[in-house]
Amino acid sequence: MSYEAIAIIMFASMLLMLLTGQRVFAAIGIVSTVAALLLWGEGGVEMPFTAAFKLFKWYPLLTLPLFIYMGYILSESGIADDLYRMFHVWFGGLKGGLAVGTIGLMVVISAMNGLSVAGMAIGATIALPEMLRRGYDKVMITGVVQAGSSLGILVPPSVVLVLYGMIARESVGKLWLAGALPGLMMAALFIIYIVIRCRLQPHLGPTVSEEEIKQMSMAEKLRLLRAGIIPFLIFFFMTGLFVMGITSLVESSAVGATAATLAALVRRRLNRKVMEETVRKTLGISCMFMWIILAALCFGAVFDGIGAARAIETLFITNWNLTPWEVLIMMQLSYLFMGMFLDDTAMLVIVAPLYVPLVKILGFDPVWYGVLYTITCQIAYMTPPFGYNLFLMRAMAPPEISLMDIYRSITPFVLVMIVALILVMAFPQIALWLPGQIYTR
Amino acid sequence: MPSFIAKYVRVVDYVSTRFGRLAMLLIFLMIGTLLLDAVTRNVLDIPLFWCVELAQFTLAAYYIMGGAYSMQLNTHVRMDLLYDRLSERNKARMDSFTAIFLVVYLIVLLIGSISSTIYSIETNQRLFSMWNPSVVPIKVIMVLGILLMLLQALSTFFKDLAKSRGVELA
Repeated sequence: MSYEAIAIIMFASMLLMLLTGQRVFAAIGIVSTVAALLLWGEGGVEMPFTAAFKLFKWYPLLTLPLFIYMGYILSESGIADDLYRMFHVWFGGLKGGLAVGTIGLMVVISAMNGLSVAGMAIGATIALPEMLRRGYDKVMITGVVQAGSSLGILVPPSVVLVLYGMIARESVGKLWLAGALPGLMMAALFIIYIVIRCRLQPHLGPTVSEEEIKQMSMAEKLRLLRAGIIPFLIFFFMTGLFVMGITSLVESSAVGATAATLAALVRRRLNRKVMEETVRKTLGISCMFMWIILAALCFGAVFDGIGAARAIETLFITNWNLTPWEVLIMMQLSYLFMGMFLDDTAMLVIVAPLYVPLVKILGFDPVWYGVLYTITCQIAYMTPPFGYNLFLMRAMAPPEISLMDIYRSITPFVLVMIVALILVMAFPQIALWLPGQIYTR
Repeated sequence: MPSFIAKYVRVVDYVSTRFGRLAMLLIFLMIGTLLLDAVTRNVLDIPLFWCVELAQFTLAAYYIMGGAYSMQLNTHVRMDLLYDRLSERNKARMDSFTAIFLVVYLIVLLIGSISSTIYSIETNQRLFSMWNPSVVPIKVIMVLGILLMLLQALSTFFKDLAKSRGVELA
């Protein structure tokens, strides 16, 4: 049997396994195990565990549980409540202002944390109920929270870019900086969309009443700005110290986790119950990610063994005779397609090793490609049927928001994200300018 | 369901919970070790070369030992396009059928981990670094964790099987 056929059969059987609803890590694990056993007989027995040892050597993954921990502490600590109030008061007078403020809130949360879980939890529990109470359109704001929280993996720090950095052997510092401007640009695009939409259809996002705003004195408004101090400090201690080269990547995440814990302590929110919840959920989510990565690494090793990277190169360049840009677009499309079925961490671990060498051969900058990948990942996060964000949103959103609302809510935001993706593709400088300023090659 | 199965489920669930609750606390060990590293190098100017490696070991123990408990907590994502439309009972039926995939994967993982550990013991394998630690302890922990995960997978399978017959097991 040809290797292409093996690769296709492996993918197809994985999709089938996933459709049965078995845990994602088991579905990926069994397909790669069976493939390894069929291809290499007894020698294949070792492959699943060898992946565990490879994973062991990927020490930057230490950032993953630490960011998850930090995310839960931040959402429990009440820092987000103050921030939300700040954005609420400052933007409340605008049509759709609370939704704009929510995007702002998400940018700040994203700058403190490298995953979208934190933003999602905070958005769904603090911002959503408040906006619903004020008569905002539920479909729009559900989209706002999902789109906003997806910024978590693009605005530095970012766990997805850490993983990508390990696979592509690129500097995580450069990748993080490369994600900053595209992240802010995307946030700006979201805001523009919300403002225009609410100007055209004011009932979607009513303004906060005049009296309520007048009640607030300017002094009080300024005092609320202090809520921004803690996030700024956390950002500085974590990403700042890392980019300045004072702490290493994994140390920074430990510093960030400590800073978040201290912030919660200062605000007297750190009780036994919060700690128990945080630590237990951190274990649960970390295990989920780590076991998926473990299984996906085995899958990737099998792919590597049958020379899939080579096969794809031949297929795209020799057989189909595509230009570099066409190849790039094909890759993005295949990510979008796979993202419908596959968890994005697994997707990265399985597919990036196949694509990154190709990206380098074609002469594209792997740092820039990392940003493109992350944006695609954000889109994949949100598009049904399989989107990790959709899954979380359903678990966290208030009961009046139905699954259909969640599905319907994302369409405009996905379109905005595609615009952002195209902008970054057309103008690589949006991503590469900032790292170029700081890391002179 | 025979009573020894009910007993098996109870014992395994208990053991997984205990180990999981212990593993859960390792997050503080990871934070502490890395923080120590950052502080001693930058503030006291004493570089500690073993910190990152210790944290790596801790991470491996954390997710492997915590695996069984996380399965109990049901935190592992599923692709729920079709699965979500099934009734609770049909979900249990589906799970008890597809549990075979999970179990086979874990068995192969276990076999690999045991042979890899034996190899490490025989060759006295160490990490090639300044600290130069033996990898045997962490591999033994990983074998135990994977074994526990396998036992938990079987326990979950029995629970699903019972549920698909309309019985609730522990």
